[in-house]
Amino acid sequence: MFWYKLAGAGLLSLGLLFSTGTTALASCPAATVADMKGVKAGKYPQQFELSEFERNAGCKMTFQGNPDIAKLNAKIRGNTRNLPPVEQRLPSEPLIYAPYDSIGKYGGTLDVLSNATEAGTSDFLSVRHVNLVRYLDDLTTIVPNVAKDWKWNSDFTQLTFYLRKGHKWSDGHPFTAEDVKFWYDHLALDPKIMEKPKDYVMVGGKRMTVEVIDPQTVRFNLPAPKPGLLAHFAFSFAQGFQPKHFLGKYHPDLNPDADKLAKQAGFENGLAVIKAYYGNSDWTDTPSPLLNAPDKVAKLPADVIPTLESHIYITDTTEGRHLVANPYFHIVDTQGNQLPYINEQDEVYKNDNEIRILTLVNGEADYKAQSLQLSSAPMLLENQEKGDYTIYLKPEITLSNMSFNVTHPDTDKRKVFADLRFRQAMSMAINRDEINDVALFGQGTPKQYTGFSPLPDFVDKKWESYMIDYNPGKAKSLLDQIGMKDNDGDGFRELPSGKKLVLNMNFSTQGIDPQIVEMVGQNWAEVGIQTTVKEVTPDEYRSAQSSNQLDVGMWRSSQPLSIVMGNNELWVPPFENYFGHRTGMLWAEYVDSNGSKGVKPPAYVMQLIDDVNAFQSSPIGSAEFKRLGQRMVKNMTENLLKIGIAQKPAPIYRKNSLKNFVEFKTHSYEYYRTYPYRATQWYLDE
Amino acid sequence: MIKFLQFIMIRAVMSIVTLLIVSFIVFSMMELVPGNCAERYIAFKNTQGQNITIEDIQAEERRLGLDKPYLIRAFTWMGNVFFQGKFGDSCILRLNINHLLSDKIWLSLGMSIGALLLSYVLAVPIGIYSAVSRNPIANNTVRFISYLGLALPSFLFALMIMLFTTVYFGESMSGLFSKEYRDAAWSYAKFMDFLSRAWLPILILGWAATAFALQTVRALMLDEIDKLYVTAARARGIFGRNLLWRYPARHSLGPVINSIGFDLNRIFSELPVVALIMTLTEMGSLLIDALAFSNDQQLAGAILVILTATIVLINFITDIILALMDPRVRQGLLG
Repeated sequence: MFWYKLAGAGLLSLGLLFSTGTTALASCPAATVADMKGVKAGKYPQQFELSEFERNAGCKMTFQGNPDIAKLNAKIRGNTRNLPPVEQRLPSEPLIYAPYDSIGKYGGTLDVLSNATEAGTSDFLSVRHVNLVRYLDDLTTIVPNVAKDWKWNSDFTQLTFYLRKGHKWSDGHPFTAEDVKFWYDHLALDPKIMEKPKDYVMVGGKRMTVEVIDPQTVRFNLPAPKPGLLAHFAFSFAQGFQPKHFLGKYHPDLNPDADKLAKQAGFENGLAVIKAYYGNSDWTDTPSPLLNAPDKVAKLPADVIPTLESHIYITDTTEGRHLVANPYFHIVDTQGNQLPYINEQDEVYKNDNEIRILTLVNGEADYKAQSLQLSSAPMLLENQEKGDYTIYLKPEITLSNMSFNVTHPDTDKRKVFADLRFRQAMSMAINRDEINDVALFGQGTPKQYTGFSPLPDFVDKKWESYMIDYNPGKAKSLLDQIGMKDNDGDGFRELPSGKKLVLNMNFSTQGIDPQIVEMVGQNWAEVGIQTTVKEVTPDEYRSAQSSNQLDVGMWRSSQPLSIVMGNNELWVPPFENYFGHRTGMLWAEYVDSNGSKGVKPPAYVMQLIDDVNAFQSSPIGSAEFKRLGQRMVKNMTENLLKIGIAQKPAPIYRKNSLKNFVEFKTHSYEYYRTYPYRATQWYLDE
Repeated sequence: MIKFLQFIMIRAVMSIVTLLIVSFIVFSMMELVPGNCAERYIAFKNTQGQNITIEDIQAEERRLGLDKPYLIRAFTWMGNVFFQGKFGDSCILRLNINHLLSDKIWLSLGMSIGALLLSYVLAVPIGIYSAVSRNPIANNTVRFISYLGLALPSFLFALMIMLFTTVYFGESMSGLFSKEYRDAAWSYAKFMDFLSRAWLPILILGWAATAFALQTVRALMLDEIDKLYVTAARARGIFGRNLLWRYPARHSLGPVINSIGFDLNRIFSELPVVALIMTLTEMGSLLIDALAFSNDQQLAGAILVILTATIVLINFITDIILALMDPRVRQGLLG
């Protein structure tokens, strides 16, 4: 009896072993965001780590690569011809994406348009971009990408990133924490390479230190709290790593023979080689040696610098660039297929807007968003069926707005412009609905300028519609109150001092639509303020703005919360950078010169400056954080420093054969264009 | 013979002086435009979405050498160009200009000279014929086509063709090369691909040039035909094509040869706009970019110097040819 039980138990256990063994060896389900096939979500939405996925799906993942990858690899000069099998090319801890709609098909060439070398290219760059982390497509949650995970310390002065074991550069060499430290210490902060360190690598003007704890763990030590540092690695074009094994040997601080090596290739010294490859810029569209040193590139070990992105350049001319898939890319889909699906990418330069529209109408590109304006939307929408593409109209982040020169050199004008009642009157005199209908095809949203866009959810929504109602009667009575009456009967009001007032509205089409300016000028004339509208070049506008000559400033402004956490320019005089919409120029002079020059700003401006700096150091989501944010918006909006008109959408173009494409939330550079929407899992299917 | 050499030397010196003056003028005019190249380049990056400060612009200016005083920059540049043939780096494209233009010069010159040749090949026989023909249909057709060529700006013509092909054929006839040959090295196949797409800009540019040349030839012929020596030849018994070619035609060609340089200049002036419309990646559209969009002094200066040098050289050669052809000048020079 006992032996039977034993045998039975043995058979049972054998059976169990086999059955669990079989299910453990089952291939992974084709889970997609549309249909997760019962797989429970991991720590972060839409993506998994390997062990997490195998556990949740109850499967063992096997990996497949692109059948054409050897052919593509052969086109990358500098890569070995013997390509290892896909299991050895992937990290042992790859990132797993659940594609949006379906498991993709390998193949095809993605055709895109840019304006010229380094011009109008950020759209296309974002398609293959990778960084330590990424914003999810809800534009709020940060999820891992190159880094597997991260950890802050309690007071936001230490940020640790955990990298992936076995992660390799596009030439097969290992990617480790040393590459992060190399980028920071020897490129971003080296005055021989970057004359002045960029703002985003500093904290309050001071440098951080980068520690390599082990090859997969790297730690940033900050001199002061900066919770926005993590978000920086999610939305910035600047990748936080560069290949030390490749560039390091040309760096004079790291290799005593750097210059000798460089001379062998015909370059003056090691730094010149670094410049040829890295362009001394974190932008990944700087000319490669193929373009900037065509006579010497054959003597260099590789045509272009190794990358972690999904595609790598193989040709680079003034007509365009061509790329092929990176054989060592670190992301796979839920069935273990190595991304990217799309074999090649082709970028053509067309510098004229009309020609670009023509190309898109003919369906000769697969994706485009940058440089497309609402004014081209009718033509693009009309031809959707013929060209076999789809247009999505999505809101931009920036908002057209106008400001009055509150530090105008003419003291009479200054007195009026600085009077809050005047600015309130002018805001109420604008018929935003009519402007929306005429200039924006009814597609825009009238809004007030609050500084943030989109408005964070902890700020009262009422500020977005503050004083945007069309109320010319109230506007006129406010102007009467100030003392601006029409004394000489010409239909236009004079300044309280009796002098004639003509508002010069000099604008540039690069910043604001001409129709909006004309209609606002008309609205203001209707309440008795005389205006003249004149179009000028962007350079003229900027230089008039710099020299404090403008009556009315006009441009587009606004930033999302994530950017404000690292950049305070919208809240500190002159309330934007040189290329944006600046106002209160003399206040800025006062602040910058510590009071020795310029005009002292009113108390609310000083509070804005203090608030934004405190805001940037507070933990995100804390009560203090929310209180400060609320007060910043209140001060900015109530005082109508910049008067918002309307937010308009812009077209996003996508060829119907491009799959796994999810509708973007906004049409914007902020969040780095396509990066939150996972362009690396796109595929082409006729 | 000495006189002839003197003649050549004087012409050569005048050509070089012309070149120097033109390059200086170009450089100066670009200086007057507000917003230098560094600012434009960085402004572009800002529209890409990066945040820029004034220090960034100034650093860029220092890097490009734009902070040095104007005269030093102008004379350094001219010195490099005339003594070393080195045009320096393009500010906006960050590339060595010699490399950048080495390919494109031939494309632009090829198209311009192609248009020029086309225009003479068509205009000379048709012009001569229309001067003597009595056929009203032929005369009126020629007149109509040539007036159309004179009146229709070539960029408008290019736009019309692009619109037509897009609407009816769904294809925009733009670009000098198809995708496969764009980055490839030069070969016979690439040359044929180039011809298969360049015929359209050559036709567009050539039409206006043909019209001009045609009217010129026709007018000259009409002038010469009534002269006494032609009547005398006819009296001696020469007639038909023989008469035409041996007498009035040869004299009419003199002024035509004289105007080759001028015609090439006119064609080259129209090329940039046509090239911009048809996104032909050659020197003309690059010139418009440099002048209008990016204020790239080095590049614009380089292209204009090359263009001027070409025209000056052609004028130099045609001067000498004319001198040799015209027996009056030839006698005087060779003694």
